[in-house]
Amino acid sequence: MEAGGSHVLMKFTIEVGRYNPEGTYADDAKQGAPYPAPWASSPPRRYQSYEVDLPEHAVVLDALIEIREYQDESVAVRCACRSAICGSCAMWVNGHAHLACKSKLQEFTKDGKTRVESPPSMPVIRDLVWDMKPFWDNHRRVTPWLENKPLPPPMQEYRVTNEAMEELIQEVTCISCGCCLMDCESFAVNKDFMGPHALAKAYRYAADPRDDETQKRLGEYSQQGGVWDCTHCFECVQQCPKGVEPLEQILKLRRMAVNAGYTHNAGTRHADAFAESVKHSGRLNELTLLPKSVGFFNVLGQLATLPSAFNMIRAGKLPPIIHKTIPGVKRIKAIFDRVGGRFK
Amino acid sequence: MKVAFHPGCVSKGACPELYVSATKIAGTLGLELQELTEAPCTGAGVLSEQNPDLGDSLNALTLAMAESMGGNLMTICSTCQGVLSSVNHTFEKKPERLEKANKTIADQGYTYKGTTKVKHLLWMLFEDIGVDKLKSVIKRKLTGLKIAPFYGCYILRPSDSLGLKERPERKTYLEQLIELLGAERVDYTGSGKCCGFPMLTFNRDKSLAMGGNHILEAKEKGADAMVTPCPLCHLNLDGQQPDAALAISRPLETPIFHLPQLLGLALGFSPEELRLNHHVVSTKRALEKVELKV
Amino acid sequence: MITDHDIVVLGAGLAGMRAALEAARNGTSVAVVTKVHPLRSHSNAAQGGINAAIGEGDTWESHAFDTIKGSDYLADQDAVEIMCREAPADVMEFEHMGVIFYRNAEGKLGTRAFGGASQARTYFVGDITGQALLVTLYDQILKAGVKVYEEWFATSLYMEDGRCRGVVALEMITGELHLLRAKAVINGAGGVGRLYEPSTNALICTGDGYGLAYRAGAPLMDMEMVQYHPTTLAGSGFLMTEAARGEGAYLLNSEGDRFMKTYAPKMVELASRDVVSRSEATEIAAGRGIDGNVLLDLRHLGPEIVLKKLPQVHEMALDYLGLDMLKDPIPVRPGMHYMMGGVKTDANGATQVPGLYAAGEVACVSVHGGNRLGANSLLDTIVFGRHSGKHASEYVKTVPDSKGGERLLKSEQARISDLLARPYTGETHARLRLELATMMDKYVGVYRDEAGLEEALKKQQDLKKRYASVAVGDKGRVYNQALTFALELGYMIDVAETIIRSAILRKESRGAQARTDYPQRNDAEWLKHILVHFRGDKAPEITYLPVTITKWKPEARTY
Repeated sequence: MEAGGSHVLMKFTIEVGRYNPEGTYADDAKQGAPYPAPWASSPPRRYQSYEVDLPEHAVVLDALIEIREYQDESVAVRCACRSAICGSCAMWVNGHAHLACKSKLQEFTKDGKTRVESPPSMPVIRDLVWDMKPFWDNHRRVTPWLENKPLPPPMQEYRVTNEAMEELIQEVTCISCGCCLMDCESFAVNKDFMGPHALAKAYRYAADPRDDETQKRLGEYSQQGGVWDCTHCFECVQQCPKGVEPLEQILKLRRMAVNAGYTHNAGTRHADAFAESVKHSGRLNELTLLPKSVGFFNVLGQLATLPSAFNMIRAGKLPPIIHKTIPGVKRIKAIFDRVGGRFK
Repeated sequence: MKVAFHPGCVSKGACPELYVSATKIAGTLGLELQELTEAPCTGAGVLSEQNPDLGDSLNALTLAMAESMGGNLMTICSTCQGVLSSVNHTFEKKPERLEKANKTIADQGYTYKGTTKVKHLLWMLFEDIGVDKLKSVIKRKLTGLKIAPFYGCYILRPSDSLGLKERPERKTYLEQLIELLGAERVDYTGSGKCCGFPMLTFNRDKSLAMGGNHILEAKEKGADAMVTPCPLCHLNLDGQQPDAALAISRPLETPIFHLPQLLGLALGFSPEELRLNHHVVSTKRALEKVELKV
Repeated sequence: MITDHDIVVLGAGLAGMRAALEAARNGTSVAVVTKVHPLRSHSNAAQGGINAAIGEGDTWESHAFDTIKGSDYLADQDAVEIMCREAPADVMEFEHMGVIFYRNAEGKLGTRAFGGASQARTYFVGDITGQALLVTLYDQILKAGVKVYEEWFATSLYMEDGRCRGVVALEMITGELHLLRAKAVINGAGGVGRLYEPSTNALICTGDGYGLAYRAGAPLMDMEMVQYHPTTLAGSGFLMTEAARGEGAYLLNSEGDRFMKTYAPKMVELASRDVVSRSEATEIAAGRGIDGNVLLDLRHLGPEIVLKKLPQVHEMALDYLGLDMLKDPIPVRPGMHYMMGGVKTDANGATQVPGLYAAGEVACVSVHGGNRLGANSLLDTIVFGRHSGKHASEYVKTVPDSKGGERLLKSEQARISDLLARPYTGETHARLRLELATMMDKYVGVYRDEAGLEEALKKQQDLKKRYASVAVGDKGRVYNQALTFALELGYMIDVAETIIRSAILRKESRGAQARTDYPQRNDAEWLKHILVHFRGDKAPEITYLPVTITKWKPEARTY
């Protein structure tokens, strides 16, 4: 090794989640329990352990390449750039989505080993090679290209500010690795959800000042499967290896959509009911939040919530029917008025 | 130890048992709670997502109130914790946002200097009260009870604003506490995941399936009960549990304890004092395991 | 299975996708075959930017002169002229497609300085320019409805009546072999960095496109011209963009001197890449290196420039060396980066095999000659990708339908079955590849000489023999990577031979070919291209072509 590297080799144990549709496994591959979650799309895999000697700063991908090249050529893993640029090597490392090339073995060694496998919420092709079809299908769903405003004169660029371009760069750093989608909690239970990556992409085009279809896009993204199907859990922000913060892009899209008039949805009604309650009482009124969000005239939707409401009343859990306001609520109203904008 | 206390809307609304149990155990833990009765709702991320300035200002007000009372603010809600932490983090990284918020709350006679430390009760147990003190006040070991921890998103993510890089142990406090109380901890993959509550009002089926799946996994791994530091998670996991069971077509029947309720049992309080009889899913069978009755 | 298209494009990097887009716009039925998803292509690793003479006071002639001087006068000047004249329109087109180029205060495209350029004419998106272009182009081919065969590995070109008529490819997910029959094939399969260890290139850069075209009869040109990038990260060899120096970074030796002042008094760190790489190698050899590296120092640039304009390399140094560019100088060294040479094409992208086109790194038009200027490679891909797409679309109108190819499909199937059935003898693709690549770095790197090159040829011939006994350690059909790695190694061994033989022949120093035994440029004898032709089991045949000189007579090259 050269400078910056180290001559010290360390022993690391890697447990690889194997799956082979042709059914051939090494004798020492332990049968894993089927993944417990009912939403798991992947079949049970087997776990096979390998030991590798690598420099102390080595990453999980170094180990996998070492295994594939010198121990077991049958271990399948996608990889190309080795430096977090190409997005190939996203996988589950110790139960969360990571790029193998960015995961330091020392950091990820837990109880003497590091476990890698394909993400359970996705179909698997073989070993660590998972089927990205859901990812690319969703990418296509958001009309991921510029619908140009009238072109500038020949040999001229669209005149836009650098700030407007910099606003989009956070998404453009996305390397489409799939880490966000594989750990997305909404997608796990809702295969109709476009997912964090696609909605971040949607924001990138909707917010591009050169795009002519922003209004139409916002309408599409407000439909079922769109921005309002995100559960706001921050998993995508946490797992994105490039700092794209997909949730932040989704929230920006929600704002854009509401400002553009796409307010006939439960998400917007929910926010409005929430704000109204806080504005007038200083705090949240759970009792009116639900019916207001579902929509007072949505009889079926209202009925669907009844059994739970009944259960909660019986347990003495429902909030007081007369919603109390906090002392000094005038202050809160004043702040709402002073800030202005949405919810004023 | 005097702390400013922000109970949050839900503990004073749909989860009164949380407020009652938290205030009940505070004394035993040596906490003198000074409730911020005039602090508004944090907005639970809903207000700030649509109007960031509004979120900034409302929370700056709360943080300023706590600052004037000594600067230590305790929450009992993962969501309140997450929102207040992230506002604090934003103010630190983008002073211009703090400045703007201060302009708004100045009319109300408040200024936030940016010094308030916001800590969930769960963090305070380990970081301020301390394990030794805890051990000394435990009167009843919860031996034989298998408990699955359920954190709630906003006390874990985004990790930057919650200080989890500096204090990675915050990700394991629930497990540590369960063991400290003498109960058996149940490891499962869902402990850090989303309960589904944020989607409950506008995507009910998926929300129920989300929560239901986590309960099912905990149950299948042997949990007698789950414990959560977040009343919003409690609303979904307990309040909606019968519907969640229907949504995933599997029986669940797993009681959900609030953090102070579980702790309170070990501190010697009765299930009634902790309002364990006010749950949708009966806590009876779990309590019988530690020879308690409701 | 056999499927028909008008045009099949091999590779889905910038050159391949640009060609496909142009072909689709011209109304042909076009399909792209790629062994990885298009967005994994190595174009995404181009960091610094793309050159075009757009700015006021800049001219295409100035850009062309810089390119030709950078090439050490080996580039064909008619081809350079086309590239530099058309660059502004092509860059503008990408802006119109949605690339979020950096803007200046007026909202117009802004530039940064780059090596070997007399003006700041490099347009960029932070330090992810290649990725920004690639993503945008991918979205455009989705818009155009181009068919993409993802994770299909090409094993052979299909030739019929002397014309290239398609590609045989292995569908990796099923293990099934297909013939994609076509009236023309455009080869945009990229570079061959894996032939060197270390290299800035991705693991997928295995020269498949060179090997396929070469075996099909298309000669490879200027193959001895292998670019070493001056700033690759110690240890891993990852690319630290030239934009770092463009933004003002220094190169320091162990004594803390900015040694480039000695070698290139005018341009200093921004001399062309071959010059800087040689200077570094000289410093290191003279004992003024630090563990075989020199230092890249950005500390004086401050967080505003480093974090906003170079965030990716900042993150890489942090991730892979634990060093923070804001506080620490970064150890770097010259590392194999790019092939100036490739499949000989004309300015239309046509190779010497009818029906076979090539564009991008795999092609040699030649616009880079002995040394490519930074930020000219992205330009090369989109200008000549477009040309090859356009001309192939014209060409296919003259070509009749084909019904053949069954036989090739069967023989390729047999070749793969034989390879899978080969018994294990201890030779593995990984060991052979490593031996080959470290040998290339040692003997065919920054500095070369007769003895070393002869040794290299001997080793290469030996490895070629041993390759015949490489066994595949995975017998399955589904996603059998061991199989494709073994096939890739075959391509690389062929390409190595063309590089070594060309380097032996060129008895002078020009551009990336620095012969210690022939230290001077020799225009009288060597102002010409070397072409290598595949001749089956026999040694390859060599021919020569004169360099096209139009306006710019060769002169001494100083920076």
